[in-house]
Amino acid sequence: MEKRTYSLTAIKPVLYTVVFELKKQKKKFYFFLAITILIGFLLGYILQLIPSSLLADTQTEFFNTGLQFISFITLFAACLFFSGIICSEFNKKTGAIVFPKINKYKLIVGKYLGNLILVMAIITVYYFLLGILGFYYYAGPISPKLFYSYGIALLYVIALSSFVTFFSSFMRSVNITIISTLIILLMGFSIVDQIVVLIFAGDFEPLYSLSYLGSLITGILNTPFPDPRYVEFTFGGEGGGFGPGGHFTFGQWITPSIGMGITLLVVNIVVFFILAAFLFKRRQL
Amino acid sequence: MSEVVMKFENLTKKYGNFTAVNEINLEVRRGEIIGLVGPNGAGKTTTIKMMAKILRPNSGRILIRTNHSELEDLQKVSSTITQIGFLIDIPSFYNMTAYQLLRYFANLQNYPKDQIDERINELITLFKLTEWKHEKVKTFSKGMVQKLGMIQAIIHDPEIVILDEPQTGLDPLARVEIRRYIRKLQSQGKTIFIASHMLYEISEVCDKIALINYGSIIGFDTVENLALVLKTSEINCVLLNPLNPSELETLLNRLSEKLNSYLDQNLDPLISKIPIKYYPEQQGLKIFYDGRNESKGEILKILIKDFESDFTVISFTQPKTSQLERVYAEMVKENNSNNGDV
Repeated sequence: MEKRTYSLTAIKPVLYTVVFELKKQKKKFYFFLAITILIGFLLGYILQLIPSSLLADTQTEFFNTGLQFISFITLFAACLFFSGIICSEFNKKTGAIVFPKINKYKLIVGKYLGNLILVMAIITVYYFLLGILGFYYYAGPISPKLFYSYGIALLYVIALSSFVTFFSSFMRSVNITIISTLIILLMGFSIVDQIVVLIFAGDFEPLYSLSYLGSLITGILNTPFPDPRYVEFTFGGEGGGFGPGGHFTFGQWITPSIGMGITLLVVNIVVFFILAAFLFKRRQL
Repeated sequence: MSEVVMKFENLTKKYGNFTAVNEINLEVRRGEIIGLVGPNGAGKTTTIKMMAKILRPNSGRILIRTNHSELEDLQKVSSTITQIGFLIDIPSFYNMTAYQLLRYFANLQNYPKDQIDERINELITLFKLTEWKHEKVKTFSKGMVQKLGMIQAIIHDPEIVILDEPQTGLDPLARVEIRRYIRKLQSQGKTIFIASHMLYEISEVCDKIALINYGSIIGFDTVENLALVLKTSEINCVLLNPLNPSELETLLNRLSEKLNSYLDQNLDPLISKIPIKYYPEQQGLKIFYDGRNESKGEILKILIKDFESDFTVISFTQPKTSQLERVYAEMVKENNSNNGDV
């Protein structure tokens, strides 16, 4: 019997899977790309209609406003591209065809990279549009901070992708994975962050939270970089405490430090992906 | 005798307290077509999934000869076995075109790159899917999906082909084509393992049958030998002219008397109350005999010599399907009673 099997370290099956995945997700990619470009053009068109005095004073502030959308695009893209990456193989039973043909670790790496390329391309297009608009409105060179922010945004989207892939590795259906990850990423982390701030105030930085780590995307645009990174806002009258005449103090962590933010995003990427791959390997059809 | 290419050693798979596959021991030799026959839930698909490394056995192992070396434990073979082609259950594909899927699968299994298109065209033409080559799978009928499932199992020209219910959803003509193709694969020296509950399909192509029930192999041999174990079998004789109805009873009595020592003495009344039956529409006799090869020859001799004046036998055959059905029913019944079923 002729041995034609790939060795365990061969990367060709991964590359074939990446290419196949790019073709498979083509429609989803075009859909997101259209939305991204639409948002970019709307941003440009609407800003032209607004009197120039309302336009942000500096290019960096303009980027800061424009990038508020990026977290939503990133989040939805990650959820929709990655939620079915593992569970659909079991749910739709496509695994019965493909598992005997490729090592599961290679399959997950290939699928992950294929989807990641598409999501990163969407982010890149958005930053590109923003850069063009910034150059057009402020007639000056693009601030290098936009490139730093772009780097952080890419790290953030990879971390989100690993997080969603991890959920996909043990969830039963694609829809449940989408809903649960969207709830956690849109609301879950924010609610827990608020509770943590209420309890610990400035003593405990919510570094566990992907949403908080994502705030570095816009945080890095600030000049100077926020220091202190924990701020308190006070509302109300002169008296202390709650109630009539009292005041209410609201604390907020603005952004993680650059070093810590990048480190923890990398940790999230690695840990969630390894866990996902391990669970995928163990899961039986 | 050809070498063993696959061997099951006490293979067991449990889901909680339920034992889906119970200490299976089997040997598959190069070039054989083996049929795994059993009722729904007997453990056929579970067995095949363990062969495909989709499921891990709880105990026991599957040994495989990946090249001309020693048998290796399948779980310890580090990479996927591209020498095996699988069709597991009703296939489910990504919603891509047939061509894109087949190209991807062929690439994954390291089929020579410059020959992939040729191979795809050859198989797609063979299975009459040429017009659908560039259509997405979601537009395919059930039968077409099944054909595509068959193609993906053999696209890389594997040495061993493992098929789980390959005839599901296929029209009669396509079934004939598949049977013919399976025979062709065998003539090329391929080893084929087919799981099915369609006894006819199995009996038509398989050299040996493994009967499985409650996760255990209850018989593994050729259809003829399995029948022999049960000491029961049947022969169909087609006669040149119809028998005279007024003389029928006397003739059947004479036949029973003459053939008595070769007839099935423990015939299940559910199958037939008498060991020799006449079917006027088919102009034929059905004889339930003891299953021994010598008996077959003796019966033919007696029919020709002693009944020369009564009828002329123009065909004397042993129908494999009904024989397998009987063997299967007998063995399952026996196994069920051993397992406490009523």
